[in-house]
Amino acid sequence: MSREKLKTLGINLPLLPVTSVGSFPKPDYLVKARADFAKKDIRREELEDAERKATEFWIRKQEELGADVLVDGEMYRGDMAAYFATHLTGFEQGGLVRSYGNRYYHKPIITGEVRWNEPITLGWWEYAQSLTQKPAKAMLTGPYTMMDWSFNEYYFDRRATCLALAREIRKEVETLVQAGAKVIQIDEPAISARPEELPTAIEAMHRVTDGLPAYFITHICYGAFENIYPAMLELPVDNFDLEFSNSCFDMLRLFKEFPFTKDISFGAVDVHNHIIESEPVVRRRIVEALEVLSKEAVWIDPDCGLKTRTVDEAIGKMEVLVAAARHLRSGETRNEVGT
Amino acid sequence: MNLLTASHGSYPRIGEPPEQQILRRTITECDRGGKSERDVRAAEDEMTELALREQAEAGIDVVSDGLIRWNDPISHLAGKLSGVRLNGLLRFFDTNFYFRQPVVGSPPQRTGPLILDEFKFARNGSARPVKPVLTGPYTLARHSLNEKSGPGKFEKLLMDYTEALSGEIAQLAAAGARFIQVDEPSLLSCLDGFSLVAETLRKLASQKGKAELWLTVYFGDAVPIYEKLQTLPVDVLGLDFSYNSKLIDMAAAGSAKTLCLGLLDGRNTKLEDVAIVAETIGRMLKTTRGASAYLSTSCGLEYLPRDRAFSKLKHLARIKAIVEGSEA
Repeated sequence: MSREKLKTLGINLPLLPVTSVGSFPKPDYLVKARADFAKKDIRREELEDAERKATEFWIRKQEELGADVLVDGEMYRGDMAAYFATHLTGFEQGGLVRSYGNRYYHKPIITGEVRWNEPITLGWWEYAQSLTQKPAKAMLTGPYTMMDWSFNEYYFDRRATCLALAREIRKEVETLVQAGAKVIQIDEPAISARPEELPTAIEAMHRVTDGLPAYFITHICYGAFENIYPAMLELPVDNFDLEFSNSCFDMLRLFKEFPFTKDISFGAVDVHNHIIESEPVVRRRIVEALEVLSKEAVWIDPDCGLKTRTVDEAIGKMEVLVAAARHLRSGETRNEVGT
Repeated sequence: MNLLTASHGSYPRIGEPPEQQILRRTITECDRGGKSERDVRAAEDEMTELALREQAEAGIDVVSDGLIRWNDPISHLAGKLSGVRLNGLLRFFDTNFYFRQPVVGSPPQRTGPLILDEFKFARNGSARPVKPVLTGPYTLARHSLNEKSGPGKFEKLLMDYTEALSGEIAQLAAAGARFIQVDEPSLLSCLDGFSLVAETLRKLASQKGKAELWLTVYFGDAVPIYEKLQTLPVDVLGLDFSYNSKLIDMAAAGSAKTLCLGLLDGRNTKLEDVAIVAETIGRMLKTTRGASAYLSTSCGLEYLPRDRAFSKLKHLARIKAIVEGSEA
């Protein structure tokens, strides 16, 4: 693990620290508040009250469960591209398009020069951090994914779009760093979409993170990793947050061939299944990962955001992650984690 | 030369107004136990009828059922075959749309209709000819996880899928389908599979009866295999022109096949300049063989918001009118 870097930043984490990718399900009262706000039945202040209440619920819950690096649960977001698009100029909100199955999102449309005008996530990160002594992770959608998940009616090509977004997203990262954020996650789930564009994604990530004093994580999921590995290790981040449960742990086989050289947040529970895995199952998954990864480099989390689960399912999945990590840390099964 | 507009296949199954969200709501309520599978089927029927109406209203000559009932282009077909179970989500090509990966444990076999009933429903509700769409065996096989690995196993899986789809094509033809479309986007990302695709198409074509068999390739550059595509045993070639502008010159130089010209980008909201597209079509029609050519989008339209998808359909009809000289 880049423990030296984390220590420099004032963060001490246990072995196999547990975190979450970002989103948690919205409690019923927040779902209702969002619907009421959309119908103009309540004021923005009332919606924000519900969002703050839900954020506090999830921070308290993560502390209670024993997670080590907390997230605000993204109670204020609809989805990861449209949320940022609505806070940057140059975007129009597009209509609904399907993500998978019965899931849809508002896909933004770039119609002009993209500009960052004011902090987007800063207030939420500050609020979350104010509720806990544990580190709260700041979370942003990265430039490559913002580009790939938007329609483009303005820029000449995808590269120009991506680099323009990187320039503006860096301003948000700088604001977070100035406010004291130490762990910052730049989500890039689209990064494996076009392997030939990986150099552009890497160049964009440099523009976002270079020279900034923070521990950077990138979350990547549901892609053809085999097409961009090991080249993706060139992304200038400290930790790759990857899904494993959904993909039958295929990446572990790749890691045997080309060693993973950075920290990793290991997705140990499936977020698209109602079934809550048992602790022994999750523990076995982690042990399997530790056969090819250094235990010092491994964080534990779900495959992806848990927003598609019910509140109880999300809590249940986090519970088994913490239980498995504690079991493996405890020394009862020292041989399972190696020495 | 007769120019006809054609839907590529998929159409958004959701829109912004509440009445266009009935399918999403019904599925969500069904998941929670408040609605039944029958309610879901009724919502699918309603959205299919709406998709057919919008295509007719836009002026599309050859319509589809919008693939409204499909969760994705892979699992909707493979998931109905014996020997196949569905696994986790994977990205569908370079889109931000995800499909459930089929895991093949034993040879996939067709035990009943795949889309036959869907075709019949759409045909009975449309005054315009309905074109059923099937994801091709090569694309299905490339997106499947075959538990039996080893030499020749991919080819065996491919032929099993081909056999299953052949049965479906025979039944579609018998049910009166005038056009049957086979989508093989994987061919453009795996060019070395060309001879295998040719073999599958020979088998599929043998079952088409009087129907016109279409092969559509998209999500990639068709330029490297444009000449070879002309040799395939299909009646219509559907091409995606959004990846390489040289494809326009190649198509304008001639085609042995009737072409379906995917000249409008099905993955971006920006509306193309109608005059430029009309001029391009004019060049192609001078050299294209056959009594007719088709104008379509580069791929299915479910990657666009519904209002923009409808705009693309209307754009197709407007361009056709310009080409025919009925609109300046």
